[in-house]
Amino acid sequence: MIKTNGCNLAITSCHVAGEEGDPSSGFEFSEVTRARDLYQRADIFMKMDNMEDDTTVFTTLKSFKSFISQPDTWHHQAETSVGSGDLQAQYIQKIEYEDAAEKIHSKTRFLQMTQEKNQMELSHKRARIELEKAAHISARDFEREADRNQELLTRIKKLEEREAEARKVLNEQTEMNRALKKSLEEQNKKLEEKDSKMSNANETICSLRDKIRELDHKIINQEMHLATQATENEGLQEQVELQRKKYQEANQKYQSLQTSECLNSEKELKIKELERRLALQEQDSVIVRNMRAELARVPETERELKRLREENSYLRETKENSSLLKEEVEGLRRKLERLEKIKEDMVNLELEKEKLAVKLQAWENSSQTTGLNIRKPEDLWREIVQIQQREIGLKQQNFSVTSSARALEKARMQLQNEVVQLRTRVLEEQKKREQQDALVRRLQKRVLLLTKERDGMRAILESYDNELSASEYSPQLTRRVRDAEDMLQKAQAHNSEMEVQLSKAQEESGSYKLQAQTAEMELDVLKKQATNADNSSFVVAEEVNSLRQKIEELEAERSRLEEQNNVLEMRLERHNLQGDYDPLKTKVIHFRLNPTSLAKQERQDDVEKLREECQRLREHVRSLQAGGAVATEEGAFNLPPSQEVVDLRRQMESAELKNQRLKEVFQKKIQEFRTVCYVLTGYQIDITTESQYRLTSVYAEHRDDSLLFKVLHRIGKAR
Amino acid sequence: MSSTLKGITLKGSAELVAEFFSFGINSILYQRGIYPPETFTRVTQYDMSLYLTTDSKLKNYLTNVVVQLKEWLFDCTVQKLVVVITCLETNDVLERWQFDIECDKTAKESGCPREKSIKAVQEEIRSVIRQVTATVTFLPLLETACAFDLLIYTDKDLKVPEKWEESGPQIITDSEEVRLRSFTTTIHKVNSMVAYKKTDSM
Repeated sequence: MIKTNGCNLAITSCHVAGEEGDPSSGFEFSEVTRARDLYQRADIFMKMDNMEDDTTVFTTLKSFKSFISQPDTWHHQAETSVGSGDLQAQYIQKIEYEDAAEKIHSKTRFLQMTQEKNQMELSHKRARIELEKAAHISARDFEREADRNQELLTRIKKLEEREAEARKVLNEQTEMNRALKKSLEEQNKKLEEKDSKMSNANETICSLRDKIRELDHKIINQEMHLATQATENEGLQEQVELQRKKYQEANQKYQSLQTSECLNSEKELKIKELERRLALQEQDSVIVRNMRAELARVPETERELKRLREENSYLRETKENSSLLKEEVEGLRRKLERLEKIKEDMVNLELEKEKLAVKLQAWENSSQTTGLNIRKPEDLWREIVQIQQREIGLKQQNFSVTSSARALEKARMQLQNEVVQLRTRVLEEQKKREQQDALVRRLQKRVLLLTKERDGMRAILESYDNELSASEYSPQLTRRVRDAEDMLQKAQAHNSEMEVQLSKAQEESGSYKLQAQTAEMELDVLKKQATNADNSSFVVAEEVNSLRQKIEELEAERSRLEEQNNVLEMRLERHNLQGDYDPLKTKVIHFRLNPTSLAKQERQDDVEKLREECQRLREHVRSLQAGGAVATEEGAFNLPPSQEVVDLRRQMESAELKNQRLKEVFQKKIQEFRTVCYVLTGYQIDITTESQYRLTSVYAEHRDDSLLFKVLHRIGKAR
Repeated sequence: MSSTLKGITLKGSAELVAEFFSFGINSILYQRGIYPPETFTRVTQYDMSLYLTTDSKLKNYLTNVVVQLKEWLFDCTVQKLVVVITCLETNDVLERWQFDIECDKTAKESGCPREKSIKAVQEEIRSVIRQVTATVTFLPLLETACAFDLLIYTDKDLKVPEKWEESGPQIITDSEEVRLRSFTTTIHKVNSMVAYKKTDSM
């Protein structure tokens, strides 16, 4: 690229120089040298290997232009030195010269160009070769660099792999570390647990040892107890033997007593039997006596029996007679009663007869008083029938009269209504007539007006006709005529409207008058009816008064009942608030295990408990007062343990514990001491009984070989 | 649950009323000091803090009663609920808190929910419970140990369940009565009142 640019530069420079043109050949050499110089500069620029193509173009162009400007000055100088003679021939010559020079220029240039081109090609080739070499070298360098790169990359990869491996190893090792730490911790925990367990075990061992000591102590105590009890036992056994002897004697006595008792009982039984027999015999003797007495009485009874039988038969006979007599008596009584009733009835009938006789007399007299020729009741009946018939006839007449009256009234009402209607019609007719009259008058007026207008118009027309010959005022006239006609029409329209309104107003007023008159008519009718009603209102007023009184009484009662109702409602409300209910419709239920019942139950239980406790305490107090202070260890009184007792107990327990521990320590020490003695001295010292000691030697041949020693007097403490 | 629907059904109304009774009875027990205050715990209900007992026996008893009461509210057979406070020493009835229940029986047949918001019902319940708390100021002090009982007035023909028994109305002799507020769910209307024994100093 650079080279081609440089060639272009040179070529353009030559072209520039060629285009400007230079007539004289003498300037060719300088131009060629100049061109060579320029070419060299271009070559130098190329070889410098620069990127500033534009600047080089500009610089070369500048130089070219400067070079081109110089021959112009020379050219001008040459022209002035020749002179002005034969200007045209010179001019033509010059032109020819110039043309020739141009041709030569161009040829030289062409040659130069070809030379230059060859040179350029050569240089191009050299440059290419050089470049190829450089490219080779650079390629080789590049390859070397690439190889190095690859080597480095491989190294880097290897290093990275190593790094990754190292990291993995590190991770593994850290994980292992962690695992180890965890295992360590676990083992620590296990150790701690074991330690704790050990400590717990130690504590249990200590407690067990304490317990063992206690048990030993207890054993010793109990052994002592046993000893004492053995002695007691012996004493008791002696007592038992004594008791046995006594018992045997007692047994013997008892047996003798028993035998005697048996004998006693047998004798008693015998006595009872004898007594029973005695009693029976007495009874028998009594019975015998009675029997004898009865026997004595027998004949008397036989006599009585006979007598009674006779009486019996006699009485039976008389019984039948008496029954017959009773029946007769009853029959007579009934008759008596009937007769008495009949008597009474008779008396009543006589009274009635007298009354009827009186009535009959009165009836018979009435005929004389009324003077109707009545002698028998039949006449009376006849008269009555006649009267009834007359009554019936009169009633019929009455009914007919009333019906006719009603019909007449209805007719009257109808006639009245018709009258009213007719009057209204009359009024309407009158109104219509009046309207018609008014219309007529209006029409007449209109007619008059129209005639007047017509006359006026005619007069105007005549006047206009008279004046027509004077001038040609026909268009004005016609216009005037039209205007006048228009005005007329408007006036007529206005007039008609006014008349229409007037007629409407008159119609309305007529209708109002009609309504007023009909109302007056109705009022007259109603007044007449009211006057009719007033005549019969007197009777109604009395009824109204009585009704009003009743209403007042009822209202008073109502108010009273309302007050009572209010009072009762208040009471009911009060009761409802208090909780009353109607047992027929409601019932009250509650949960069985409700708090109140439970509380009451608890209260009762508490009260009973308290009473029992009270009783117990009283008894305890009594027993204390009676028997003095007796130590009761059973705790049957359930006194609440006081603080002192609790403290004492605690002290006792601690003292016992201390005791135990001391014993254990003592035991240990003694054991140690004994073993040390045995080991050091070779003799084992044992206690067999209270003050006897046994020595066994290590070197003894048999196990049972030993030396026994006895303490004669107590060994006191050496101070 | 009635809280998810717009209206109130019979079942929802029964639950609301039963809930009110449960809290109301606890409030009365706390306010009158029937049980020691440390056996009560605070809870929030009806937008105010109320007290509920923690004693298991008492809770058990109350749940038994309230569950049965809910059933009866659903059947519309209960007429009144009464909290009776008795003095243990003298076995006298000292106070009677009476709640009258009026049930609209047509709700049983129709089955469609009533147009009343549960918020409004809860507002009314809140005012009732507040009033119960306020009445403590003029009620005479309960100085002796007291126990309470719950009585229920029902229809005569109701079958008495196993754990229940008939009892008397336990009316106070010589009492003063005060009527308190009421609330209604449009199916059940609850009127409250308190009757107390007149003290000799009055």
